[in-house]
Amino acid sequence: MQRKLLVRTVIIVLLVGWAVYALWPTYKLNRLTPDQKNLLSARGQLVPLIDRSIRLGLDLQGGIYLTLEVDLPMLITQIARTTDTRLDTILLQIRQELNVRNEDFLNLLVEHFRRRGLALNEYWGERGDSDGKIIASLEKEAKDAMDRSLEILRNRVDQFGVSEPSIQHIGSMRILIELPGLSDPTQAKNLIGKTALLEFCLVKDPALYSDVLQKIDKALARKGAIPVAETIETVKADTSKSKTAMKQSKDKTVSVNEIFGDRATVQPSRKDTAANDTSALVDENIFKENPFFSLLRNAQQFGHEVSVPEKNIAVVQRILERPDIQKLLPPDAQFLWSSETFKIGDEPYKELFMVNKEPELTGKYLTNAQVTIGSDAENAGRPVVSFALNRPGARIFSRVTGANIQKRLAIVLDKNVFSAPNIIAKIPNGSGIITGMPDMDEAKLISIVLRAGALPAPVSVIEERTVGPSLGRDSIQSGTLAAALGAALVVLFMIFYYRAAGFLADFALFLNIMILLAVLAQFRFTLTMPGIAGIVLTIGMAVDANVLIFERIREELKTGKTVRASIEAGYTKAFSAIFDSNFTTIISSIALYWLGTGPVKGFAVTLTIGLLINMFTAIVVTRTIYDHITSRKTLTNLSI
Amino acid sequence: MQFFQLPHIDFIAIRKYFYGLSISLMLLGIVSIIAHKGLNLGIDFKGGTAMAIRFEKEVTTHSIRLALEKIGLGESEIKTLGTSNEFLIYMKQQKGFSASEVVKRVQTALTESIPDAKYEVRQVETVGPKIGQELRKNAMIAVVVSLLVIMFYLAWRFEFIFSACGVLGLFHDTFLALGVLSIFNFEISMKEIAAFLTIVGYSINDTIVVYDRIRENMKIHRGDDLKSVINRSVNETLSRTIITALTVFLVVVILFIFGGPVVKGFSLAMMVGAVTGCYSSIYLGGALAYDWHMRHDVKRAFKMSKMKK
Repeated sequence: MQRKLLVRTVIIVLLVGWAVYALWPTYKLNRLTPDQKNLLSARGQLVPLIDRSIRLGLDLQGGIYLTLEVDLPMLITQIARTTDTRLDTILLQIRQELNVRNEDFLNLLVEHFRRRGLALNEYWGERGDSDGKIIASLEKEAKDAMDRSLEILRNRVDQFGVSEPSIQHIGSMRILIELPGLSDPTQAKNLIGKTALLEFCLVKDPALYSDVLQKIDKALARKGAIPVAETIETVKADTSKSKTAMKQSKDKTVSVNEIFGDRATVQPSRKDTAANDTSALVDENIFKENPFFSLLRNAQQFGHEVSVPEKNIAVVQRILERPDIQKLLPPDAQFLWSSETFKIGDEPYKELFMVNKEPELTGKYLTNAQVTIGSDAENAGRPVVSFALNRPGARIFSRVTGANIQKRLAIVLDKNVFSAPNIIAKIPNGSGIITGMPDMDEAKLISIVLRAGALPAPVSVIEERTVGPSLGRDSIQSGTLAAALGAALVVLFMIFYYRAAGFLADFALFLNIMILLAVLAQFRFTLTMPGIAGIVLTIGMAVDANVLIFERIREELKTGKTVRASIEAGYTKAFSAIFDSNFTTIISSIALYWLGTGPVKGFAVTLTIGLLINMFTAIVVTRTIYDHITSRKTLTNLSI
Repeated sequence: MQFFQLPHIDFIAIRKYFYGLSISLMLLGIVSIIAHKGLNLGIDFKGGTAMAIRFEKEVTTHSIRLALEKIGLGESEIKTLGTSNEFLIYMKQQKGFSASEVVKRVQTALTESIPDAKYEVRQVETVGPKIGQELRKNAMIAVVVSLLVIMFYLAWRFEFIFSACGVLGLFHDTFLALGVLSIFNFEISMKEIAAFLTIVGYSINDTIVVYDRIRENMKIHRGDDLKSVINRSVNETLSRTIITALTVFLVVVILFIFGGPVVKGFSLAMMVGAVTGCYSSIYLGGALAYDWHMRHDVKRAFKMSKMKK
């Protein structure tokens, strides 16, 4: 045998050997029964096996894919020296622009400031700093925030226990997260979406609170904000259901327009209230004289102070956000809602708190947070999160509790009050519990995010794709079926049309696909559903190369050349056409890879690799086999 | 076994019929797009939330709509996916865009309104307006860039006129695929764009093969006029052109029938692409080049024989 032929043969054999080796784990994995899987898992051998098998995309295994965007406007608000309504307005405008276009946030900031003739150093950096210097430092802050966010999210996801999560950042504002294998994504999204800002804020004195509420009430009544309305439905509160002595009140439904005295439609600013609620439940007895109070309830006997029926929350929130009402608040106070909704009878309520704006302590000082079951009388059997503070934190905590006995301390997470226990005595050891969680899952989530740390800026989900595992399984099934049938059809056709040569091409095709799958497994490329389509397409396109060669050989045979010469001519002349055709398909695949979404990238990958390998198997492998045959004996005719 | 024993079809002579056919098919596509008031864009490009739900037993679209109306989403699109217990609910962008909220509310509404129907959420996709816009932009860039690269590549390998005619053929192929998707009202999402790009990359193959042969024949049959050279080349490559298109068509048909719902639109586009790619190479590439040359300069036709190889 010729030297060159020997070398080629050896290379091919080695390649095939390697392919079998690379694919063996995938083969083994797919043949396991669930019982066998459990056995291996117990021995810690399952995960390594999965690692060496072909990696499945989210659309085949099921899981969730998220694109998050870091809230840069919020971030720079937090690091500004001062904030005011002017800045808020500017940032609101920028936010709206960012919502529909993908501009660079800092560029927009500069633009808006210039337009108003303002200098950035009014809010950031030192007085006298140039715009350029401030932008540079803001950019650095943004990048820092991004890095920290990635770290924190990774931490959270790790603790949550997802296998093979993927978290990476794209550009300056976005984070891509892939969580394979999850069947219920809600938990995961809550985990990721939480900013997890923990604050301990002192609750304002009840006398002061009552004072402010009265002021608000008078302000609303005074402006004549409630004209007599023509259409008022009278709805009697179903007092028969409430078993305790709640003050009897005749509730009627009024339209929100009446309360606000204008024709504007209500836009609730809190996301979790029904979007179309335009009515509110008010206590008819006091509606006219005390419009604000009529929206509230006193639920002291239930352990909650100022409470608001769920229906009224949107209205109350809107009132509280009005600039004229905001002026009535003491400058260091803010209104916060309770996180939990509690029921009085059948009606859901939330409690409204007035607390200090400045927290006494934040989550920064936390060293640990664990879920336990409450043991004291108040929390028996309910899940609680017990936390521990570091030394500086413990000192602060001790001082604050010592100085504020008999006052309440609100434990606030992401601007929701989880609980506001009474400070009975000074707490010197820097530990405590957080209550107010509806279930174990929520408690577990909170303990995770507290441990991992608060995100430097809130994140919002701008893209989300979830695939349930059943769809993933179905996709694999139909994909494999299509591939098998397609391959069978092509194989039969080739034999039918090109006889023995066709059989040769089929063998090359088989190697082509096998090596393609081996490359996917070895280099950890992800296989997606479009990726399977890419494999099917490769099957159809792979034989094209051989068709080109065989057609050429047939032509050459017709011109009277010998078998050997015809084969030679066929391969040589067909090569440039094969190269061109695969090349152009690969070009568009590459464009697709750069600009497509995840699953589509998978298509580009399988098609490109498939065609690259095709150039080897269709040409070199079949040629080698022909050369072996023709070197043994001189053929006078060819089955082609 | 051989289908085509060196045919002698005069393609140039009958090219007017081919032109007519192409134009009518393209018109059909345009009419369909207008009739459907534009393209049926998937959420990749439109934004919004799509939920695919499979019920255990039969449920009517109407009952689902009633359930959605209760939470203010009665305007959403509800489509059946094949069987009568699988649905796709499409909801537009919600203000204060919070997808998990929307999904939860829909699930609650369904459980409440259709009490004894157990269901499974097979898939949820939410795309915010920014991402939707970016994907649209990216899709267009991908298509344009591919076309340009291929155009330059062709111009480098052959002559500019062949390059232009070839790319014209690609536009024709892609547009027909788009038209068919529109006629059957398939959704256009990133996957279908993938199909178009693949058609672009693949369809040019056959065209290149024909041009390759034209160039070869120019050398061998120097004396012949352009018309017979083109005809001869197309006839000689006919067998190969049709067979390669056939193998791709076969697998893609299988994919369409057996591949499941995820790749239906993609495989339909590819089916059209395989057919039109073959069809356009057989006559379009050669015929257009012929007409262009005849229009401009007869002598330039013979300059091609001096091209580098």
